Amino acid sequence: MHTVRVPSPLRSYTAGAARVHARGDTIGDVLLDLERAHPGMRFRMIDEQDRIRPHIRIFINQREVNSLDEPLAGADEVHLICALSGG
Amino acid sequence: MATLNAAERERYSRHLLLPEVGAAGQEKLKNARVLIVGAGGLGSPAALYLAAAGVGTLGIIDHDQVDLSNLQRQLLFDTAAVGQGKALSAQARLQALNPEIKIVAHPVKLGADNAAELLANYECVIDGSDRLETRYLVNDACVLFKRPLVSAAIHRFEGQAMTYVPGQGPCYRCLFPHSAAGAVPNCAEAGVLGVLPGVLGAVQATEAIKLVLGIGTPLIGRLLTYDALDMQWHEFRFTRRADCAVCGDRPTIRSLADSVADEPMRGACRDLKPQQLRDLLQATGGGHITVVDVREAREFAAGHLRGALNIPVGELPRRSAEIPLEFPVVFVCRSGGRSRRACELAAGAGIKEPASLEGGLLAWAAMVDPEMQVAPVG
Repeated sequence: MHTVRVPSPLRSYTAGAARVHARGDTIGDVLLDLERAHPGMRFRMIDEQDRIRPHIRIFINQREVNSLDEPLAGADEVHLICALSGG
Repeated sequence: MATLNAAERERYSRHLLLPEVGAAGQEKLKNARVLIVGAGGLGSPAALYLAAAGVGTLGIIDHDQVDLSNLQRQLLFDTAAVGQGKALSAQARLQALNPEIKIVAHPVKLGADNAAELLANYECVIDGSDRLETRYLVNDACVLFKRPLVSAAIHRFEGQAMTYVPGQGPCYRCLFPHSAAGAVPNCAEAGVLGVLPGVLGAVQATEAIKLVLGIGTPLIGRLLTYDALDMQWHEFRFTRRADCAVCGDRPTIRSLADSVADEPMRGACRDLKPQQLRDLLQATGGGHITVVDVREAREFAAGHLRGALNIPVGELPRRSAEIPLEFPVVFVCRSGGRSRRACELAAGAGIKEPASLEGGLLAWAAMVDPEMQVAPVG
């Protein structure tokens, strides 16, 4: 089980929760598990060609993720980051 | 290089005590020229701290006027300034804070046509803008004209900051190659804790001072995020993208005329203005157009167009068969971003000439029906 930090623009999918938990051996699996618990959330991050949307970044701990096949280890934390526009 | 006078030596005495600054550093600050894009929540603290720190020339770009709703976070302005131009009002406030420096007001909108001229006079840029288009334009201008950029952005209780230095690391587009306006809500839509930009604006001022002095470790290739609710900072490493549109190996943005925030649309989609949708609905009695509202169910429940079908954009790929095909399809959402994406998906699913309500229901409420209740996102 991995802790996933949710950016505020996506918290409408997690009932306001900033941290949720999801299972998976890869980032792709974790996002599918998130989708099961929070329908609609994955599409806000991943497009119909299974690419990470260009205003979204995903990090495992501090490390950037560029592929949904990126593997996860036991205690890894997943950070979902969304571009913000406010100033 | 200009040297410090007696009043300046007293004013900056706490800086002069720091070995990392000292008289030589303070003279560097006095000779520095920093441009702040946007005198808003971020620009206010950044400008106040840089003026107080003795940055010799401080430019402020903002074409807007002070609004009463700005005062909750934009500390450059007081109640008497409401209605005044921000750039000139900021200039007066900053000059009163520090008469030793030069404040240059630029009461203009930064655009592809004037960015080169504006940036030419400055050696470092702080982005405190509140529009995605401006964020990408500022980034692209800094890459093309080789200016360091300290970028920050805020939303509700969250902020993020990064620094770009030409030739030393990734740019903002390496982090977020494109952003669709509808996918990234702004403060006017989603709200913001007033003190939040104070924290991030102070980070930006710190970075700018470090760059001028050449001390410390700037946020190059590091995204710093701040969560005020959890009171947590995180740092993420990211690298330059070889395929970055502006700083990559084969850039497609070679001049600011090429700079756009959003990805170009694929597929045949057309935008409908609120008045055009109103006319279509009136002409057909609403019976010969399918309006699909692609917001979340909670937003839909707060208020929607009569007869609209609700399919959140995230569910569209698996629910597109629910859309009747005998009439033209118009997608609507809050501000026009999600409906454009829905349009693109629908075109891909074989729906002919789908349309999107330009500006979304917010524009509909502003131009057609002020009674329309439009729920906030997020």
